This record gives sequence, structure tokens and C-alpha cells, in this order.
Amino acid sequence: MTSHRTVSRISRILALIPYVLDRSTVDVDEVMDRFGYTRDQLTKDLNTIFVCGLPGYGPGDLMEAYMDEDEVVIDAADFFGKAPRLTPAEALGLLAAGMTVIGSGEASPELESAVRKLTKAVMPDADTTLTVDVIDESKNVGALREAAASSRVVHITYRSVAKEETTERDIEPWSVFATLGRWYVLGHCRLVDDQRTFRIDRIKELALRDETFERPKKVPEPGVGYVPREGDVVCTIELKPAARWVLEYYPVEVLSENKRASRIRFSSPDTEVPARLLLRLGTDARLVEGDEVRARVREIGESLLATYQ
Amino acid sequence: MQNVVERVLNLLIYLLESPMPVTSNDVRNTVHGYADQSDEAFHRMFERDKQVLRRLGVPLKLEALDPWEIDEGYTVDPEEYAIGDPGLTKQERVALSVAARMVRLGGTEAGVGAIIKLGGLEQGAGIEPLAADLGEGADTLGELFGAIAERRRVELKYREQVRSVEPYGIAHRRGHWYLVGKTPDGERMYRVDRISNLAVGETANAFSKPKGFDIKAAVDAQPWEAGADPVITTTVRFDEDVAWWAARSLGRAEPHGELTADVDVANRDAFIGWVLSFGASAEVLAPDEMRHAVAERVRAALGKLE
Repeated sequence: MTSHRTVSRISRILALIPYVLDRSTVDVDEVMDRFGYTRDQLTKDLNTIFVCGLPGYGPGDLMEAYMDEDEVVIDAADFFGKAPRLTPAEALGLLAAGMTVIGSGEASPELESAVRKLTKAVMPDADTTLTVDVIDESKNVGALREAAASSRVVHITYRSVAKEETTERDIEPWSVFATLGRWYVLGHCRLVDDQRTFRIDRIKELALRDETFERPKKVPEPGVGYVPREGDVVCTIELKPAARWVLEYYPVEVLSENKRASRIRFSSPDTEVPARLLLRLGTDARLVEGDEVRARVREIGESLLATYQ
Repeated sequence: MQNVVERVLNLLIYLLESPMPVTSNDVRNTVHGYADQSDEAFHRMFERDKQVLRRLGVPLKLEALDPWEIDEGYTVDPEEYAIGDPGLTKQERVALSVAARMVRLGGTEAGVGAIIKLGGLEQGAGIEPLAADLGEGADTLGELFGAIAERRRVELKYREQVRSVEPYGIAHRRGHWYLVGKTPDGERMYRVDRISNLAVGETANAFSKPKGFDIKAAVDAQPWEAGADPVITTTVRFDEDVAWWAARSLGRAEPHGELTADVDVANRDAFIGWVLSFGASAEVLAPDEMRHAVAERVRAALGKLE
């Protein structure tokens, strides 16, 4: 199979030609910015265009393409007056990108009208057939994005995923991103004096501090998932197929998996999260190893039974 | 790669400029790059190049050359080839360019391929501290999206079973892509990353979508809303420190202090699981039937401890 790179390269050539044909003069720098070319790549593609054309392939049949000082010139290529239409995958990609940003609650009216026009062009009833949502009930994404852009310290009330407790802390937000269907903010947490990633939907309240911070020169790549630390509570759990969703919901290590059961290792800073999980799963899970967790399941379970008596 | 690029460009020009459909022999004898190949090498090359044209979005068609349909030839209609103009303003193009680069799909920038075809990326937007990753490669999604747009049936393998589906829509939710469509057993939802052996039907407009179908309604039900149990209205109380968090899941206004809410439950198992995820910070107050069910689940969990 021909590589993805080759297809992208041809696609870019087929978009470049009509762009240049449509305009009387086109600047080399502009083409490089607009189509993401380096100068070498552009030279190479122009040289390729220059040797292609109509059958016969004589001087009158080939396209013209060259750089004239700071200008890109393409001629005798009328058959490429328009770029090829979008493939379904391309259309989906762009619509999904637009819908994701709109879903962040921070889209400009221009983006909304652009997505509407594009939708109409590629799939008139796309608003009932395509939906892209990254959960954000809290409307905090916009505020954090602004704080990250202006390097403002933010005070948050946060409900931790790993510990099921609510804390107050100051953070220095570096970037806001979405992955696995949720929004996160990555930054420096002053409470633990370390880099942390927070789930934005778990931020109860936030307030901008009257203080800016110095952004690190290189912000680390965003990532999620609980990174096990020393001193963590570790337990082993066996899940029946009905409880397999746990593998997708929690960052766990899968020890073994077959049709009837999956065995996982669950790490967390305290016993609360695995204990509640085990109660929730009832007979769909079995604690294989982990005395501390077992004790905590008993504790919560008995207090619940007392409540429900 | 250089040879492939030149050959495909020459082939495309030939197809766009030929007034009549052309046979593979015409291609072989006319287009630069195919000469001097053995039969087998030519056919392999031509198959690959046709595949490239399709991946570029070129509407390559095979048509009969005579009324008896003995000979067939390839053709590309220039009108059909050309991208339509969605009529975007400069500001709209800037906004789309920014969004295209912020969102990743299958590890690559989701919208850039489309933006390039629509005339390239607009400059002038600053550094954006926002990014989103929608997971999943665009290939299966693209095929499904094409099938939905053209109303083609698809066949797919899911959990070791082959199913025939009329695809109605796709949704990205909770980090995964889902396909919703009609099967002989009714409307079903499939996680796209678990679909294998996808085959898209030959016939366009093979079915019609029900008028009221809305993908959002189809995928957005809370787990305890989507169920077959008789609906039971359940009253739950949440302690102050978790009340705001529960209110968000329930789609209620955020309370000051604790929250007591009535919830219509159609899937008891899912609802009880959710309530227990709050540990001792949530309590089902009524009806007794649901209180017993919660206690039952807790006893079951305790019974599993050794």
C-alpha cells in the first residue's frame, strides 16, 4: 500500500496548484505558511509539477512551475483549477475539530458559522448524525484557558479523582487539553509543589489570583492517567465481564484477561476509591489481595448497612 | 515515492482531460511511467495508483464503453472532482484553521488535511493553550461517516458476530467514538474501536433514516435512564461535600449545602452502582424497595470478602 505520506504530499500539490492559479502573484513565504511547506519541500514539489502534464509530455504539454525570486509561479495547469473534494475522513476530521472547540464553550461566533457552512456543504443533516462532545458541565474551560494564556495563578476547590476528597489549592495553569472525553488542566500545583493534571469537571470553584507566574520554557506534553507513587495502596481485583468497564474508567494495570474474568492491579493514594468500587460492583468483582482495602470495604459497608437498617 | 507522485499526477491529468472513458490498456500505452512494465507489474501498479486516487478524494468511476458492456473504461468527471465552495469568510477560515490544529484524531491533526484542500491554513492566530485528543484513527471513522452521508448499509464484526447495520450517526462521548444504527434486532450502539472487518455496501441511498432521529438523544442518556426496568422514582440525599458533584451528573442546579433529589430510574443496577460510588456520603431515602436493593448490594459485596 502506498504510504500515507505520499498521499498527503499529492493532496498538498493538488491544493497548491489551484491556489496559485487563482491569484496573479503569490509570495513564497505565504505559500510556505499556508500549506506548511519548508523551502526545500516547496522547491521539490514545484520541480515535480514541472515534469508532469498531458500525454505527449513535450514542452507544450507539461505544466509550468518555478520560483521567481520571491514569487511562486504555476501555469498551464487548467485541469487542476480546483482542489479535489474532501474525503469523508477529511470532512469528519475538520467538523469534529470545530465541534470539539465549540463544545469547550469558548468558540467564536465565526467558528460556529464556519462549522454550520461546512456541515451544510458536506452533509446537510450532519447536526442529527454527528456529535462530538467533550464533557464540560462546569464552564470552567474558558476561564482556565484564559488564565493559561495570561499566566495567572488560579485558586481552585477541587475534588480529587484518586482520593475522593475536596481540597483548596493554588495552581499555575500551563495548558488546557481534552483527552478520553474530558477536559484537563496541566500545571504546577503549589499545594504539593509539583506538576499535576486536574480534571476540569471536578473543579468546584475557581478564582483568578492577582498574581502572575513564570511559564516554564518548555511545557510538558499533556497526558493523563494516575502515575503510581511510592506509598500507594495496591490491591488485586478480579472482575467479571459485567464489570469490565472498570478497565476503561480507571488507570489500572491488567494482569490477566480472558472471557470469564480480568485480573487487575489497582493503585491509589488511599483505600477509599478501591473500597467504594468494590461495594459498587457487588458480586461482579472479587478482592484477591489487599488487606487495607478489605478492612475499608468492611468499614464503609457496615456503616451503610447501619444507615439502611 | 517520487515516481509514484509523478505517475499519479499524470494519470489524474489524463483522466480529467479524456473526453471518453479510458481502458487500462489506454492508460498503459499513454501515461508516462507505466511503459516498460510486465503485465503483472503494470496491474499491481495501476491497482495501487487507483487506490491512491480514491484516498485523495478523486471520484474515479468505471463505465461501459459500448452498449453491450463488454469493454469498460475509467473516467473522472471534472465537475464531480472539484471541491465545492462552502463560502467561508476570512474570519471563519481563521477560526477553522485554529480549531483544525488544536484537535487531534488518531495522533494527527484532525482538520488540517481538509483545510489544505480548502485553500490552506490562515495565519494570524496566537499560541493556543488548548488542545484536544479525540483518540481513534480517522480511517474507520471516515468510512463510517461516508456510509452515513450516502446512506449505505455496512457490515461489521463486533464481539465475534457479523452484523448488518443501517448507520444513522456517530458520536464522540466519554472518550470513545460510537456508531448508532439499525440492525434486524432494533437500534444498536457500537464502540467504533471494537469494530472490525468493516465493509461498506455498494448501493447508495439504500435506506432512509427515521425522521426524528437525533444522535445526541441516542447517546446521551445516563446509564440509569437507559434501561428496561419499570421506571421508579427514587429519592437520594447527598452530603454537602459531594452535593455539587452529584448535581452536575444529574444535570441539576448546584445546591448550597446538601442535595436531595428525585431521580427517575430505568436501570436499577446502574443507579445503585452510581449511588454507592459516593460511599457513605449518599443515601437513598425512598422508596423502601430501592433502599433494600442498595443494602442487598452492600451485603453481596461484603459476602465476597474472604
